[in-house]
Amino acid sequence: MEYQKAAELKGLCNGKIVTEYLCRNGFSELTVDSKKVAVQHKNETSRKEAEDESRLPALEAAYTTILRGLGENTDRQGLLKTPLRAAKAMQFLTKGYHETIFDVLNDAIFDEDHEELVIVKDIDMFSLCEHHLVPFFGKVHIGYLPSKKVVGLSKLARIVEIYSRRLQVQERLTKQIAMAISEALQPVGVAVVIEAAHMCMVMRGVQKMNSRTVTSAMLGVFREDPKAREEFLALTKGGQ
Amino acid sequence: MERSKQKQVNENENENEADSAINGHFDGRVKMPGWSAGGAAGTPSTVPSSSVMESWREERTRSLEDNEMSLPSIAAAYTTILRGLGEDPQRQGLLKTPWRAATAMQFFTKGYQEKIIDVLNDAIFDEDHDEMVIVKDIDMFSMCEHHLVPIFGRVHIGYLPNKRVLGLSKLARIVEIYSRRLQVQERLTKQIAVAITEALQPAGVGVVIEATHMCMVMRGVQKMNSKTVTSTMLGVFREDPKTRDEFLTLIRS
Repeated sequence: MEYQKAAELKGLCNGKIVTEYLCRNGFSELTVDSKKVAVQHKNETSRKEAEDESRLPALEAAYTTILRGLGENTDRQGLLKTPLRAAKAMQFLTKGYHETIFDVLNDAIFDEDHEELVIVKDIDMFSLCEHHLVPFFGKVHIGYLPSKKVVGLSKLARIVEIYSRRLQVQERLTKQIAMAISEALQPVGVAVVIEAAHMCMVMRGVQKMNSRTVTSAMLGVFREDPKAREEFLALTKGGQ
Repeated sequence: MERSKQKQVNENENENEADSAINGHFDGRVKMPGWSAGGAAGTPSTVPSSSVMESWREERTRSLEDNEMSLPSIAAAYTTILRGLGEDPQRQGLLKTPWRAATAMQFFTKGYQEKIIDVLNDAIFDEDHDEMVIVKDIDMFSMCEHHLVPIFGRVHIGYLPNKRVLGLSKLARIVEIYSRRLQVQERLTKQIAVAITEALQPAGVGVVIEATHMCMVMRGVQKMNSKTVTSTMLGVFREDPKTRDEFLTLIRS
Protein backbone atom coordinates (compact mmCIF):
# COMPACT_ATOMS: atom_id res chain seq x y z
CA MET A 1 0.00 0.00 0.00
CA GLU A 2 1.18 3.43 -0.80
CA TYR A 3 0.80 4.61 2.75
CA GLN A 4 2.89 1.80 4.15
CA LYS A 5 5.63 2.52 1.63
CA ALA A 6 5.71 6.08 2.80
CA ALA A 7 5.95 4.93 6.38
CA GLU A 8 8.94 2.76 5.56
CA LEU A 9 10.57 5.59 3.69
CA LYS A 10 10.21 7.77 6.71
CA GLY A 11 12.47 5.46 8.60
CA LEU A 12 15.22 5.69 6.00
CA CYS A 13 15.30 9.21 4.73
CA ASN A 14 14.39 12.50 6.28
CA GLY A 15 10.81 13.69 6.45
CA LYS A 16 11.31 16.31 3.73
CA ILE A 17 11.67 13.81 0.92
CA VAL A 18 8.68 11.76 2.03
CA THR A 19 6.43 14.79 2.20
CA GLU A 20 7.38 15.94 -1.27
CA TYR A 21 6.81 12.43 -2.66
CA LEU A 22 3.32 12.32 -1.26
CA CYS A 23 2.58 15.86 -2.31
CA ARG A 24 3.40 15.28 -5.94
CA ASN A 25 1.30 12.15 -6.01
CA GLY A 26 -1.82 13.51 -4.35
CA PHE A 27 -2.25 17.15 -5.19
CA SER A 28 -1.48 19.46 -8.00
CA GLU A 29 -1.08 22.68 -6.14
CA LEU A 30 0.20 22.19 -2.65
CA THR A 31 2.20 24.97 -1.12
CA VAL A 32 3.51 23.26 1.94
CA ASP A 33 6.61 24.39 3.70
CA SER A 34 7.97 20.88 3.74
CA LYS A 35 10.91 21.72 5.98
CA LYS A 36 8.62 23.00 8.67
CA VAL A 37 6.38 19.96 8.44
CA ALA A 38 9.42 17.72 8.68
CA VAL A 39 10.48 19.45 11.87
CA GLN A 40 7.12 18.71 13.36
CA HIS A 41 7.39 15.08 12.33
CA LYS A 42 10.69 14.86 14.18
CA ASN A 43 8.96 16.25 17.25
CA GLU A 44 6.26 13.63 16.98
CA THR A 45 7.38 11.66 20.00
CA SER A 46 9.63 14.10 21.73
CA ARG A 47 8.27 12.77 24.98
CA LYS A 48 7.83 9.22 26.13
CA GLU A 49 4.96 8.46 28.44
CA ALA A 50 7.23 6.45 30.75
CA GLU A 51 9.42 9.50 31.34
CA ASP A 52 6.58 11.64 32.59
CA GLU A 53 6.86 10.43 36.17
CA SER A 54 10.56 11.11 36.34
CA ARG A 55 10.13 14.65 35.09
CA LEU A 56 7.51 15.50 37.67
CA PRO A 57 9.83 16.70 40.49
CA ALA A 58 11.49 19.31 38.28
CA LEU A 59 8.11 20.60 37.16
CA GLU A 60 6.89 20.70 40.75
CA ALA A 61 9.88 22.72 41.85
CA ALA A 62 9.31 25.15 39.00
CA TYR A 63 5.69 25.64 39.99
CA THR A 64 6.64 26.22 43.61
CA THR A 65 9.01 28.95 42.43
CA ILE A 66 6.24 30.51 40.40
CA LEU A 67 3.80 30.52 43.32
CA ARG A 68 6.37 32.15 45.58
CA GLY A 69 7.29 34.67 42.91
CA LEU A 70 3.63 35.69 42.67
CA GLY A 71 3.64 36.52 46.37
CA GLU A 72 1.54 33.59 47.50
CA ASN A 73 2.12 31.63 50.65
CA THR A 74 2.90 28.10 49.51
CA ASP A 75 2.19 26.65 52.94
CA ARG A 76 -1.44 27.54 53.08
CA GLN A 77 -3.86 24.67 52.90
CA GLY A 78 -5.22 25.34 49.43
CA LEU A 79 -1.78 25.52 47.87
CA LEU A 80 0.01 22.66 49.60
CA LYS A 81 -0.28 20.17 46.75
CA THR A 82 -0.81 22.68 43.97
CA PRO A 83 2.67 22.33 42.41
CA LEU A 84 2.09 18.61 41.96
CA ARG A 85 -1.42 19.06 40.62
CA ALA A 86 -0.37 21.86 38.29
CA ALA A 87 2.57 19.81 36.99
CA LYS A 88 0.33 16.81 36.29
CA ALA A 89 -2.27 19.06 34.69
CA MET A 90 0.34 20.59 32.42
CA GLN A 91 1.60 17.15 31.43
CA PHE A 92 -1.95 16.12 30.61
CA LEU A 93 -2.55 19.25 28.58
CA THR A 94 0.56 18.51 26.51
CA LYS A 95 0.05 14.77 26.17
CA GLY A 96 -0.07 15.13 22.40
CA TYR A 97 3.69 14.84 22.42
CA HIS A 98 3.40 11.19 23.45
CA GLU A 99 1.49 9.96 20.48
CA THR A 100 2.15 9.62 16.79
CA ILE A 101 -0.36 9.61 13.98
CA PHE A 102 0.83 6.17 12.88
CA ASP A 103 -0.12 4.55 16.16
CA VAL A 104 -3.59 5.96 16.03
CA LEU A 105 -4.46 5.51 12.39
CA ASN A 106 -2.84 2.35 11.15
CA ASP A 107 -5.71 0.02 11.85
CA ALA A 108 -8.67 2.09 10.84
CA ILE A 109 -8.16 2.85 7.16
CA PHE A 110 -10.64 0.98 5.03
CA ASP A 111 -11.10 0.54 1.32
CA GLU A 112 -14.52 1.88 0.49
CA ASP A 113 -15.86 2.95 -2.86
CA HIS A 114 -17.20 6.25 -1.55
CA GLU A 115 -16.51 9.49 -3.34
CA GLU A 116 -18.76 11.95 -1.60
CA LEU A 117 -17.89 14.47 1.04
CA VAL A 118 -17.37 13.14 4.58
CA ILE A 119 -17.56 15.72 7.36
CA VAL A 120 -17.02 15.42 11.09
CA LYS A 121 -17.90 18.74 12.70
CA ASP A 122 -18.09 20.40 16.13
CA ILE A 123 -15.13 18.48 17.51
CA ASP A 124 -14.31 20.21 20.81
CA MET A 125 -10.68 21.22 20.89
CA PHE A 126 -8.54 22.40 23.80
CA SER A 127 -5.00 23.56 23.33
CA LEU A 128 -2.35 25.75 24.93
CA CYS A 129 -1.09 28.96 23.39
CA GLU A 130 2.67 28.50 22.99
CA HIS A 131 3.30 32.18 23.56
CA HIS A 132 1.60 32.65 26.91
CA LEU A 133 0.94 29.08 28.08
CA VAL A 134 -2.74 29.99 28.44
CA PRO A 135 -5.55 27.81 27.02
CA PHE A 136 -7.37 28.38 23.80
CA PHE A 137 -10.36 26.26 22.91
CA GLY A 138 -13.02 25.93 20.29
CA LYS A 139 -14.43 23.66 17.65
CA VAL A 140 -12.84 21.89 14.72
CA HIS A 141 -14.70 20.95 11.54
CA ILE A 142 -13.02 18.42 9.26
CA GLY A 143 -14.15 17.39 5.81
CA TYR A 144 -12.50 15.21 3.19
CA LEU A 145 -13.31 13.77 -0.20
CA PRO A 146 -12.13 10.16 -0.11
CA SER A 147 -10.35 8.50 -2.96
CA LYS A 148 -11.04 4.83 -2.38
CA LYS A 149 -9.90 4.99 1.26
CA VAL A 150 -11.94 6.12 4.23
CA VAL A 151 -10.83 6.45 7.83
CA GLY A 152 -12.67 5.54 11.02
CA LEU A 153 -14.58 8.62 12.12
CA SER A 154 -13.29 8.77 15.63
CA LYS A 155 -9.78 8.75 14.22
CA LEU A 156 -10.36 12.25 12.90
CA ALA A 157 -11.14 13.35 16.43
CA ARG A 158 -8.06 11.52 17.68
CA ILE A 159 -5.89 13.34 15.17
CA VAL A 160 -7.30 16.58 16.54
CA GLU A 161 -6.47 15.46 20.08
CA ILE A 162 -2.89 14.52 19.27
CA TYR A 163 -2.09 17.82 17.65
CA SER A 164 -4.09 20.06 19.92
CA ARG A 165 -2.77 18.73 23.22
CA ARG A 166 0.52 20.54 22.64
CA LEU A 167 1.92 24.05 22.81
CA GLN A 168 0.36 25.35 19.67
CA VAL A 169 -0.35 28.22 17.35
CA GLN A 170 -3.81 27.97 15.80
CA GLU A 171 -2.53 28.32 12.24
CA ARG A 172 -0.05 25.51 12.66
CA LEU A 173 -2.60 23.29 14.35
CA THR A 174 -5.00 23.64 11.44
CA LYS A 175 -2.29 22.81 8.93
CA GLN A 176 -0.99 19.83 10.88
CA ILE A 177 -4.43 18.26 11.07
CA ALA A 178 -4.96 18.75 7.35
CA MET A 179 -1.53 17.38 6.47
CA ALA A 180 -1.94 14.34 8.69
CA ILE A 181 -5.21 13.37 7.02
CA SER A 182 -3.88 13.95 3.54
CA GLU A 183 -0.78 11.88 4.21
CA ALA A 184 -2.71 9.02 5.71
CA LEU A 185 -5.48 8.74 3.14
CA GLN A 186 -4.30 10.50 0.01
CA PRO A 187 -7.83 11.83 -0.49
CA VAL A 188 -8.99 14.04 -3.32
CA GLY A 189 -9.15 16.94 -0.89
CA VAL A 190 -9.12 17.85 2.80
CA ALA A 191 -10.65 20.86 4.53
CA VAL A 192 -10.16 21.83 8.17
CA VAL A 193 -11.75 24.83 9.86
CA ILE A 194 -11.04 25.80 13.47
CA GLU A 195 -12.94 28.46 15.38
CA ALA A 196 -11.47 29.18 18.77
CA ALA A 197 -11.44 31.62 21.65
CA HIS A 198 -8.00 32.55 22.91
CA MET A 199 -7.82 33.15 26.63
CA CYS A 200 -4.65 35.16 26.10
CA MET A 201 -6.84 37.71 24.29
CA VAL A 202 -9.86 37.37 26.55
CA MET A 203 -8.32 37.24 30.01
CA ARG A 204 -5.40 39.60 29.46
CA GLY A 205 -3.94 41.96 26.88
CA VAL A 206 -6.71 43.49 24.81
CA GLN A 207 -9.42 41.72 26.85
CA LYS A 208 -11.99 41.31 24.12
CA MET A 209 -14.50 38.84 25.54
CA ASN A 210 -16.36 37.83 22.44
CA SER A 211 -13.61 37.65 19.87
CA ARG A 212 -13.06 34.38 18.02
CA THR A 213 -10.22 33.37 15.74
CA VAL A 214 -11.09 31.31 12.66
CA THR A 215 -8.43 29.52 10.61
CA SER A 216 -8.82 27.10 7.77
CA ALA A 217 -6.68 24.78 5.67
CA MET A 218 -7.96 23.73 2.26
CA LEU A 219 -5.99 21.11 0.37
CA GLY A 220 -6.55 19.47 -2.97
CA VAL A 221 -9.91 19.86 -4.58
CA PHE A 222 -11.13 22.09 -1.75
CA ARG A 223 -8.50 24.59 -2.72
CA GLU A 224 -9.04 24.40 -6.46
CA ASP A 225 -12.78 23.98 -6.76
CA PRO A 226 -14.90 26.74 -5.22
CA LYS A 227 -18.05 24.62 -5.32
CA ALA A 228 -16.57 21.87 -3.21
CA ARG A 229 -15.39 24.45 -0.71
CA GLU A 230 -18.82 26.06 -0.65
CA GLU A 231 -20.51 22.75 0.02
CA PHE A 232 -18.17 22.04 2.93
CA LEU A 233 -18.63 25.49 4.44
CA ALA A 234 -22.39 25.38 4.05
CA LEU A 235 -22.62 21.98 5.73
CA THR A 236 -20.46 23.00 8.66
CA LYS A 237 -22.22 26.32 9.26
CA GLY A 238 -25.78 25.01 9.40
CA GLY A 239 -27.27 23.51 12.52
CA GLN A 240 -24.89 25.34 14.88
CA MET B 1 14.08 44.67 54.74
CA GLU B 2 11.28 46.36 52.96
CA ARG B 3 9.03 43.36 53.27
CA SER B 4 8.94 43.15 57.07
CA LYS B 5 8.31 46.88 57.34
CA GLN B 6 5.36 46.58 55.02
CA LYS B 7 3.97 43.77 57.14
CA GLN B 8 4.18 45.86 60.30
CA VAL B 9 2.39 48.75 58.63
CA ASN B 10 -0.42 46.43 57.60
CA GLU B 11 -0.80 45.09 61.11
CA ASN B 12 -0.99 48.58 62.54
CA GLU B 13 -3.66 49.55 60.07
CA ASN B 14 -5.53 46.47 61.12
CA GLU B 15 -5.71 47.57 64.72
CA ASN B 16 -6.68 51.15 64.04
CA GLU B 17 -9.44 50.64 61.52
CA ALA B 18 -11.29 47.62 62.67
CA ASP B 19 -14.41 48.56 60.82
CA SER B 20 -13.13 48.95 57.31
CA ALA B 21 -11.93 46.17 55.09
CA ILE B 22 -8.23 46.36 54.31
CA ASN B 23 -7.60 43.82 51.65
CA GLY B 24 -9.85 41.49 53.56
CA HIS B 25 -8.20 41.65 56.96
CA PHE B 26 -10.59 41.25 59.86
CA ASP B 27 -10.24 40.72 63.54
CA GLY B 28 -12.55 37.77 63.59
CA ARG B 29 -16.25 38.28 63.06
CA VAL B 30 -17.91 40.77 60.81
CA LYS B 31 -20.78 42.68 62.41
CA MET B 32 -23.86 43.03 60.25
CA PRO B 33 -25.58 46.32 61.10
CA GLY B 34 -29.16 46.60 62.27
CA TRP B 35 -30.06 42.93 62.24
CA SER B 36 -31.42 41.66 65.51
CA ALA B 37 -29.79 38.67 67.08
CA GLY B 38 -33.24 37.18 67.43
CA GLY B 39 -34.06 36.90 63.78
CA ALA B 40 -35.20 33.60 62.37
CA ALA B 41 -34.17 30.87 64.71
CA GLY B 42 -30.65 29.76 64.10
CA THR B 43 -29.80 32.66 61.82
CA PRO B 44 -26.48 34.05 62.94
CA SER B 45 -26.26 37.78 63.36
CA THR B 46 -22.61 37.79 62.50
CA VAL B 47 -20.81 36.18 59.63
CA PRO B 48 -17.91 33.96 60.62
CA SER B 49 -15.16 35.53 58.60
CA SER B 50 -12.19 33.91 60.24
CA SER B 51 -12.49 30.77 58.18
CA VAL B 52 -12.62 32.85 55.04
CA MET B 53 -10.05 35.43 55.95
CA GLU B 54 -7.59 33.39 57.98
CA SER B 55 -5.42 32.58 55.05
CA TRP B 56 -5.33 36.22 54.01
CA ARG B 57 -4.45 37.60 57.39
CA GLU B 58 -0.73 37.50 56.75
CA GLU B 59 -1.21 39.01 53.33
CA ARG B 60 0.36 42.24 52.20
CA THR B 61 -0.16 43.84 48.86
CA ARG B 62 2.26 43.10 46.08
CA SER B 63 3.90 46.14 44.56
CA LEU B 64 5.06 46.81 41.04
CA GLU B 65 8.65 46.59 42.24
CA ASP B 66 7.95 43.13 43.63
CA ASN B 67 6.64 42.16 40.25
CA GLU B 68 9.77 43.30 38.48
CA MET B 69 12.05 41.62 40.96
CA SER B 70 10.37 38.26 40.80
CA LEU B 71 10.00 38.20 37.02
CA PRO B 72 13.39 36.56 36.27
CA SER B 73 12.82 33.69 38.68
CA ILE B 74 9.32 33.05 37.39
CA ALA B 75 10.59 33.14 33.81
CA ALA B 76 13.36 30.67 34.70
CA ALA B 77 10.75 28.40 36.26
CA TYR B 78 8.75 28.49 33.04
CA THR B 79 11.83 27.57 31.03
CA THR B 80 12.23 24.52 33.27
CA ILE B 81 8.61 23.65 32.69
CA LEU B 82 8.98 23.88 28.92
CA ARG B 83 11.96 21.56 29.03
CA GLY B 84 10.22 19.19 31.39
CA LEU B 85 7.32 18.90 28.96
CA GLY B 86 9.66 17.75 26.20
CA GLU B 87 9.59 20.99 24.22
CA ASP B 88 12.63 22.82 22.85
CA PRO B 89 12.76 26.27 24.51
CA GLN B 90 15.08 27.51 21.76
CA ARG B 91 12.66 27.17 18.89
CA GLN B 92 11.37 30.37 17.43
CA GLY B 93 7.84 30.21 18.82
CA LEU B 94 9.05 29.55 22.35
CA LEU B 95 12.03 31.90 22.61
CA LYS B 96 10.30 34.60 24.63
CA THR B 97 7.54 32.41 26.03
CA PRO B 98 8.94 32.20 29.60
CA TRP B 99 8.80 35.99 29.88
CA ARG B 100 5.39 36.27 28.29
CA ALA B 101 4.00 33.48 30.45
CA ALA B 102 5.49 35.02 33.60
CA THR B 103 4.04 38.44 32.80
CA ALA B 104 0.69 36.84 31.97
CA MET B 105 0.65 34.98 35.28
CA GLN B 106 1.43 38.18 37.15
CA PHE B 107 -1.46 39.84 35.34
CA PHE B 108 -3.78 36.97 36.29
CA THR B 109 -2.88 37.52 39.94
CA LYS B 110 -2.87 41.30 39.94
CA GLY B 111 -5.62 41.24 42.52
CA TYR B 112 -2.88 40.92 45.10
CA GLN B 113 -1.62 44.37 44.18
CA GLU B 114 -4.76 46.25 45.04
CA LYS B 115 -6.68 47.03 48.17
CA ILE B 116 -10.42 47.47 48.46
CA ILE B 117 -9.91 50.69 50.38
CA ASP B 118 -8.11 52.34 47.47
CA VAL B 119 -10.83 51.44 45.05
CA LEU B 120 -13.87 52.32 47.09
CA ASN B 121 -13.13 55.31 49.24
CA ASP B 122 -14.32 57.98 46.86
CA ALA B 123 -17.42 56.44 45.43
CA ILE B 124 -19.73 55.94 48.40
CA PHE B 125 -22.64 58.37 48.28
CA ASP B 126 -25.47 59.21 50.65
CA GLU B 127 -28.66 58.57 48.78
CA ASP B 128 -32.12 58.07 50.17
CA HIS B 129 -32.70 54.88 48.18
CA ASP B 130 -33.90 51.69 49.74
CA GLU B 131 -34.80 49.56 46.75
CA MET B 132 -32.69 46.75 45.40
CA VAL B 133 -29.72 47.64 43.22
CA ILE B 134 -28.42 44.90 40.94
CA VAL B 135 -25.38 44.78 38.67
CA LYS B 136 -25.44 41.56 36.70
CA ASP B 137 -23.46 39.71 34.02
CA ILE B 138 -20.10 40.97 35.24
CA ASP B 139 -17.53 38.88 33.34
CA MET B 140 -15.13 37.27 35.76
CA PHE B 141 -11.79 35.56 35.11
CA SER B 142 -9.91 33.83 37.85
CA MET B 143 -7.29 31.11 38.35
CA CYS B 144 -8.02 27.82 40.07
CA GLU B 145 -5.64 27.61 43.01
CA HIS B 146 -5.44 23.84 42.77
CA HIS B 147 -4.38 23.44 39.15
CA LEU B 148 -3.38 26.94 38.06
CA VAL B 149 -5.86 26.76 35.18
CA PRO B 150 -8.39 29.51 34.33
CA ILE B 151 -11.91 29.81 35.69
CA PHE B 152 -14.28 32.16 33.95
CA GLY B 153 -17.89 33.08 34.27
CA ARG B 154 -20.33 35.75 35.34
CA VAL B 155 -20.99 37.45 38.63
CA HIS B 156 -24.36 38.91 39.62
CA ILE B 157 -24.39 41.28 42.59
CA GLY B 158 -27.41 42.77 44.32
CA TYR B 159 -27.72 44.84 47.47
CA LEU B 160 -30.36 46.72 49.42
CA PRO B 161 -28.82 50.05 50.36
CA ASN B 162 -29.27 51.57 53.77
CA LYS B 163 -28.78 55.27 53.10
CA ARG B 164 -25.52 54.66 51.28
CA VAL B 165 -25.01 53.61 47.67
CA LEU B 166 -21.88 52.66 45.82
CA GLY B 167 -20.66 53.75 42.41
CA LEU B 168 -21.75 50.97 40.07
CA SER B 169 -18.42 50.30 38.47
CA LYS B 170 -16.96 49.85 41.93
CA LEU B 171 -18.91 46.63 42.25
CA ALA B 172 -17.15 45.41 39.12
CA ARG B 173 -13.83 46.58 40.52
CA ILE B 174 -14.40 44.62 43.71
CA VAL B 175 -15.00 41.56 41.53
CA GLU B 176 -11.77 42.25 39.66
CA ILE B 177 -9.67 42.61 42.80
CA TYR B 178 -10.83 39.35 44.30
CA SER B 179 -11.06 37.32 41.13
CA ARG B 180 -7.59 38.14 39.78
CA ARG B 181 -6.04 35.82 42.37
CA LEU B 182 -5.54 32.12 42.96
CA GLN B 183 -9.06 31.35 44.03
CA VAL B 184 -11.67 28.85 45.02
CA GLN B 185 -15.10 29.82 43.75
CA GLU B 186 -16.75 29.52 47.15
CA ARG B 187 -14.24 31.83 48.76
CA LEU B 188 -14.45 34.34 45.93
CA THR B 189 -18.22 34.63 46.32
CA LYS B 190 -17.95 35.19 50.04
CA GLN B 191 -15.14 37.73 49.76
CA ILE B 192 -17.11 39.87 47.33
CA ALA B 193 -20.19 39.80 49.55
CA VAL B 194 -18.24 40.59 52.70
CA ALA B 195 -16.36 43.44 51.04
CA ILE B 196 -19.58 45.15 49.96
CA THR B 197 -21.06 44.65 53.41
CA GLU B 198 -18.07 46.16 55.11
CA ALA B 199 -17.96 49.16 52.80
CA LEU B 200 -21.63 50.11 52.79
CA GLN B 201 -23.34 48.43 55.74
CA PRO B 202 -26.38 47.75 53.57
CA ALA B 203 -29.54 45.98 54.63
CA GLY B 204 -28.49 42.96 52.63
CA VAL B 205 -26.16 41.69 49.92
CA GLY B 206 -26.55 38.84 47.45
CA VAL B 207 -23.80 37.55 45.17
CA VAL B 208 -24.23 34.74 42.63
CA ILE B 209 -21.37 33.40 40.54
CA GLU B 210 -21.82 31.03 37.62
CA ALA B 211 -18.54 29.81 36.21
CA THR B 212 -16.85 27.24 34.02
CA HIS B 213 -13.77 25.59 35.45
CA MET B 214 -11.18 24.71 32.83
CA CYS B 215 -9.72 22.17 35.24
CA MET B 216 -12.96 20.19 34.79
CA VAL B 217 -13.39 20.90 31.10
CA MET B 218 -9.87 20.49 29.73
CA ARG B 219 -8.65 17.70 32.00
CA GLY B 220 -9.85 15.30 34.67
CA VAL B 221 -13.52 14.46 34.14
CA GLN B 222 -13.67 16.53 30.91
CA LYS B 223 -17.28 17.57 31.11
CA MET B 224 -17.59 20.30 28.49
CA ASN B 225 -20.86 21.89 29.48
CA SER B 226 -20.70 21.79 33.24
CA LYS B 227 -21.05 25.03 35.18
CA THR B 228 -20.55 25.68 38.88
CA VAL B 229 -22.94 28.05 40.63
CA THR B 230 -22.23 29.49 44.08
CA SER B 231 -24.08 32.14 45.99
CA THR B 232 -23.73 34.15 49.16
CA MET B 233 -26.77 35.81 50.74
CA LEU B 234 -26.20 38.16 53.64
CA GLY B 235 -28.58 40.15 55.79
CA VAL B 236 -32.12 40.55 54.55
CA PHE B 237 -31.36 38.44 51.50
CA ARG B 238 -30.69 35.53 53.81
CA GLU B 239 -33.62 36.07 56.16
CA ASP B 240 -36.39 37.16 53.83
CA PRO B 241 -37.25 34.67 51.11
CA LYS B 242 -39.21 37.23 49.11
CA THR B 243 -36.23 39.51 48.74
CA ARG B 244 -34.07 36.59 47.69
CA ASP B 245 -36.69 35.56 45.16
CA GLU B 246 -36.84 39.02 43.68
CA PHE B 247 -33.07 39.10 43.35
CA LEU B 248 -32.85 35.66 41.74
CA THR B 249 -35.70 36.43 39.33
CA LEU B 250 -34.16 39.70 38.24
CA ILE B 251 -30.77 38.18 37.52
CA ARG B 252 -32.36 35.42 35.52
CA SER B 253 -34.30 37.67 33.17
